[in-house]
Amino acid sequence: MSAFRLSTILCLFAVLLAPAKADVLPSWLRFWKGGSAAKPAKIEPKRVSIGAFAGGTGTSAKQALVAELTTTREFQITEEKPDFIITGSSVGGRITGKVANAAGKELLDRTYAAPGLDENAKALADDVILTITGKPGLATSRIVFVSDKSGAKQVYLSDPDGKEVLQVTHHSHGAVSPTLNADGTAVAYTSYSSGFPVVQWMDLSQGWERTVTDTPGSSFGAAFSPDGQRLALVMSFLGNPEVFVTDLTTSTAACISDTTGAPSSPAWHPDGKQVIFADDRGDGPRLYVAEVPATNQTEAQLLRWRTGYSFCTDPEFSPDGHSVAFTARISGELAVVVKGWPNGPAKVIQAGGASHPSWSPNGRSLCYAQHGNLYVHSLSSGLRRLVLEKHGQISEPRWMK
Amino acid sequence: MSSVLPRFILALPLALLLGACEHMPKLPKFGGEQEPNVVFALGTRDGFKSPLEGALKPACPALQFENEGYSLTGAHKKALAPLIADWSKAKPRYLIAGHTPPGLPEDFARSLSERRAQAVRQHLIESGIEAANLQTVGYGYDTPPTSNVVVIYQQL
Repeated sequence: MSAFRLSTILCLFAVLLAPAKADVLPSWLRFWKGGSAAKPAKIEPKRVSIGAFAGGTGTSAKQALVAELTTTREFQITEEKPDFIITGSSVGGRITGKVANAAGKELLDRTYAAPGLDENAKALADDVILTITGKPGLATSRIVFVSDKSGAKQVYLSDPDGKEVLQVTHHSHGAVSPTLNADGTAVAYTSYSSGFPVVQWMDLSQGWERTVTDTPGSSFGAAFSPDGQRLALVMSFLGNPEVFVTDLTTSTAACISDTTGAPSSPAWHPDGKQVIFADDRGDGPRLYVAEVPATNQTEAQLLRWRTGYSFCTDPEFSPDGHSVAFTARISGELAVVVKGWPNGPAKVIQAGGASHPSWSPNGRSLCYAQHGNLYVHSLSSGLRRLVLEKHGQISEPRWMK
Repeated sequence: MSSVLPRFILALPLALLLGACEHMPKLPKFGGEQEPNVVFALGTRDGFKSPLEGALKPACPALQFENEGYSLTGAHKKALAPLIADWSKAKPRYLIAGHTPPGLPEDFARSLSERRAQAVRQHLIESGIEAANLQTVGYGYDTPPTSNVVVIYQQL
């Protein structure tokens, strides 16, 4: 009899607690699960050998490639028992590179004919990294940022080493809040050239500019979607600022936030279906996640994402979609924080005024601004590198995805 | 058996409490922002001049805000009263521009300054000024003055 009663209670208990609530309950209540997913085992770096490069500029091409691959620390460059073999040739600055695996199967065969040898070597290094690791290399990636070096705030473009810096905008009264699309060919920003904040985008290969929003009020905080076809941005023509998603091909916009507060800094999930943004509904900016409605659908979910901090802005999803980096204010100072998505521990990456984090394309580093300088912070080693200093007051860096 | 039973006695109220939380109504917010009843969309910006081009005069002393608040206080409404009283004579057009001091995250500063300007606009509309005569803009700290103010510029 008592066994029967016990089983009844047990069933009741199971029905009340266990089913379907696993995703809703906070992580500290999920005592039956035993922690999050298992940590990935430490992977030995791949062994790569680089053979001699034929042709007139072959020696310097090999040198440049070895230097590039050594700094990335993606592989162990060795002649002993290589997993992959790189061979190639170079004539007059053009580079042809080939990658084969240990069995001799060719994985990459490509010729790079950009004007500079170093540029070609960087492009080859990135393709080698992508071929072997499946994650993009950083040598040809770009960081976009704002600096007041020339007086007004303008948008600049830089490589991740801070060696080549290019001024993108020359607008009267300045341009701010830049974003790069996934392949780094277009940049969108807020321009003050008309005296009012207006979002424009520029095709970097052809150099033309187009106005995205010419709406009354302010528009700012543009972010390219992963496919580059849409922009998430904040516009205020409705009578209060709201987050919109606008389609660049059809120039239509849909409101995805439902707020009477002050929303800012939207950013896309890599699947292109969710947008995360900060929203101040009267008690400091918190993070919210909105679904982007499909074209024939108007209903979309909007939910608050609890981070444990009362002041959070500038959120950005990691390229794998498993983490979010954001700016938090901790005891009066801005700090860069990374937290697992949708659940996971929060970790302060850099305190003391660091702000506006942005993920590297391979998801292993963050760039951010601190005291007007630009830093790249490696998440695996915890070491950071000063990329750019004494370049005016640097703010709002964003790495292309 | 005897060691299992006390655990269930402890766990059952917890389970019931969790179940009850599902049906809890949304609690009213204390001290939060009062949501406006009607929000008026902005009209066209044609003909409005930007303070960045110069030659615009503030119509009243700049409204000071504190910290990251964007709701209007009695002091703000008092400062706006003469402007509201005089408006019906000449029906001038106003550009309401929000600013913030540096140190805030840039995009949040823009949104906050715009939201403050919209709060001022909402009060002016509720006090009888026609919505078409009011435009807002939020500069954050991208342009001077870089302080916690909303400036109301009279259009020429």
